[in-house]
Amino acid sequence: MNYPQLFKDGLWDNNVAMGQMLALCPLLAVTTSATNGLGMGIASLAVLILTNTLISAVRGVISPQVRIPVLIVMIATAVTLTDMAINAWMHDLYKVLGLFIALIVTNCAIFGHAESFASKQPVIPALADAIAMGLGFTWVLVAVGAMREVLGSGTLFANASLLLGPGFAWLETTIFSTSPDILIAILPPGAFMALGFLIVIKRLIDQRLRNREEAGLVQMQH
Amino acid sequence: MSNLGSVLNHDNPVYQAMLLSVSCAIVSLALIGGYLATNDRIIELELQDQLNTLGQVLPADRYDNNPLEEQYSLDDDRLLQPAQLMLARRAGDISAMALQLRVAGWGGPMDLLVAIEPDGTILGVRVVRHKETPGLADNIEIAKSDWITVFDGKSLANTPTRAWAVKKDDGDFDQFTGATITPRAVVKAVYTALELQQSWLASHKNGPQQETQP
Amino acid sequence: MNTTAAAAVTASPHAHDRSGVDRIMLNVCLALVPVTGFGIYLFGLPALLMWMLCIVSALASEALCLWLLQHPMSRLLDGSAVLTGWLLAITLPPWSPWWVAVGGSAFAIIIGKQIYGGIGQNLFNPALLARIALLISFPVPLTTWAIPYLNPDLGQSIQILLGNMPTLIPTPDALTGATWLGDSKAAMKAGGDMTEYLSSHFNVMDAMIGERLGSMGETSALLALLGGAWLLKQRIISWHIPVSLLGTLAVLALVTSTSEPERYAPVGFHLLSGGVLIGAFFFATDYVTSPTTKLGQVIFGMGCGLLIFTIRTWGGFPEAVAFGILFMNSLTPLIDRVTKPRVYGRNRQGDVIKHVPAQRRVN
Repeated sequence: MNYPQLFKDGLWDNNVAMGQMLALCPLLAVTTSATNGLGMGIASLAVLILTNTLISAVRGVISPQVRIPVLIVMIATAVTLTDMAINAWMHDLYKVLGLFIALIVTNCAIFGHAESFASKQPVIPALADAIAMGLGFTWVLVAVGAMREVLGSGTLFANASLLLGPGFAWLETTIFSTSPDILIAILPPGAFMALGFLIVIKRLIDQRLRNREEAGLVQMQH
Repeated sequence: MSNLGSVLNHDNPVYQAMLLSVSCAIVSLALIGGYLATNDRIIELELQDQLNTLGQVLPADRYDNNPLEEQYSLDDDRLLQPAQLMLARRAGDISAMALQLRVAGWGGPMDLLVAIEPDGTILGVRVVRHKETPGLADNIEIAKSDWITVFDGKSLANTPTRAWAVKKDDGDFDQFTGATITPRAVVKAVYTALELQQSWLASHKNGPQQETQP
Repeated sequence: MNTTAAAAVTASPHAHDRSGVDRIMLNVCLALVPVTGFGIYLFGLPALLMWMLCIVSALASEALCLWLLQHPMSRLLDGSAVLTGWLLAITLPPWSPWWVAVGGSAFAIIIGKQIYGGIGQNLFNPALLARIALLISFPVPLTTWAIPYLNPDLGQSIQILLGNMPTLIPTPDALTGATWLGDSKAAMKAGGDMTEYLSSHFNVMDAMIGERLGSMGETSALLALLGGAWLLKQRIISWHIPVSLLGTLAVLALVTSTSEPERYAPVGFHLLSGGVLIGAFFFATDYVTSPTTKLGQVIFGMGCGLLIFTIRTWGGFPEAVAFGILFMNSLTPLIDRVTKPRVYGRNRQGDVIKHVPAQRRVN
């Protein structure tokens, strides 16, 4: 298993949100602030790790004909358990993300990876894949949340201490305090625009890298 | 033995049916376990949430009972649904009252929490839930502006009826730039809460105390 | 940079040559002169500065996009960016601060137009899209209306453009007065009576001439009609969209206000208040974002009228013209598809019609 490539895929090349364009519903819905994005990212990461390892562990006994219902039942259970655990032990986060945690079950990235990766690979690579994909999704959530929060509220990581504990109060930053807030950024249209600009930036970077690679090849030929 | 071998064959429908039922059984057990492990804590936390909301207007040192357990339902034409009156007691005597009301705002229903002293003075008002226009009328939230604190200390005795209106309607309370309807609705709701509290007190003079201490 | 090669690949519409686009833009600008001039006369220097700022920042945003896309700068001269900035300016409150003008123009050109692929490719009317984005983002400045004839001097005007309005004007409360639409909506929400409200507030003469609160270019119904008539006379627009839009709105208002006059506003109020006339003649008729066939245009206009009436009567925002037209913009591709004319020799699905011998048809 080529682990560096697995992580490069998850974090950048084949990123859940920006490469595969999956899981856009939770992405667009919760990212009104960087903190909310981070919370959703961590919850999705936990569910991905749980489902990918479990499914990989029992892949030998699942018969292909009934794999879809079995996978769905397992994913739904993992999501429900996560939902209850966050409600009981991270209650402040639950009050922010409550509605959306149950919706992780509809996150196609999770089912996609259970189906295409975990059910065909041993436990360790499946776990690595879950971590790579989950982290990739998390950073995009945080980036979109940060863009929208800075424009729409003039802050960054507001209420981070509610999510991560009082030790992280230093993360909470006020960027602008006097200029008018651009409210559209934290309303639904802002989510689409922020994601769109992020994808443009990713493609520009990819294009630059490709051009440089080609230039390098030409030089080597001379 | 050959029989068992064919049952373990993944292509055998019997195996598939067994697989489905066993996985359903396992996840049911997992869910039951998860529920038992978390439910008590969740119920406790949700109760604490309600008390915390109440605590925004009603300081915890004002009462030693659980106000959520002693609730009365009061109806009025100006409300979208009957208001909940909660009694806070210290050493058995009523120390304060909290009312939760739902009134119509500009963008939809608006939930308010009003805490009142037994003599009719307002301890605090908070808008708990609303759908008003962001940036224009959401200054009713304590997180956005301290406008809502103008009601602290007001009562029907120290503020005459005609002053319970926004300044545009010749009342005592500021409206917001570009938004009059929302503050108007809040002022009206607070006034309603005071009237409800007074009429409830009048009709229950010493009543509930005698009921609880026979 | 090989400019000739880049110039050879131009964006659609290919049907017009360059002078054609120029002529259209010039005529629309001419039609806008009366309402704009009157807006400046009514609301003074701040309106003039805001209007110029919109046009300059629209041009600057267009230039930025052309530079990023490595397109020839000569495209600035086609007049479309000037027109977008101008159209945006007449929809804004006349004393809007600079960030509203600059941000709105940049949004219109960059997100409303260039991201879709430039001139002729946009789904929504860029100026209206920007106006709605501004209304949602900055609700306070976008619902702060200057009263006519305050005539601030240059220093005050610059202060107003910087957003320092309330400190200058002796009666700031007068400034935040609502337009008839907003005011009547508030009155109705408070349980008021429409006939009573109208008799004490609404005045047909003021609406015709335009001495009232409102966006810079929407106050005078007569001048908006004059601009519309010029566009019709020059054959820049056809009658289909404006007539079906205004007709639908009028019929709906007539039916509802006749049956319940205390709840619904009458025809005159609907047609003369807000930006209905400007919207019908200048925004709904945008070539790029309205249907091409005559039947499609009538459907489009009726849809706009229905939406404007619906949003005004039951919606959350008092102003409905921009929302109504933008919504119908999004349906334009669908309307075009449904009303596609039959090609000669083919049926509506585009299949070749088989020749059927004459004797077999006689039956």
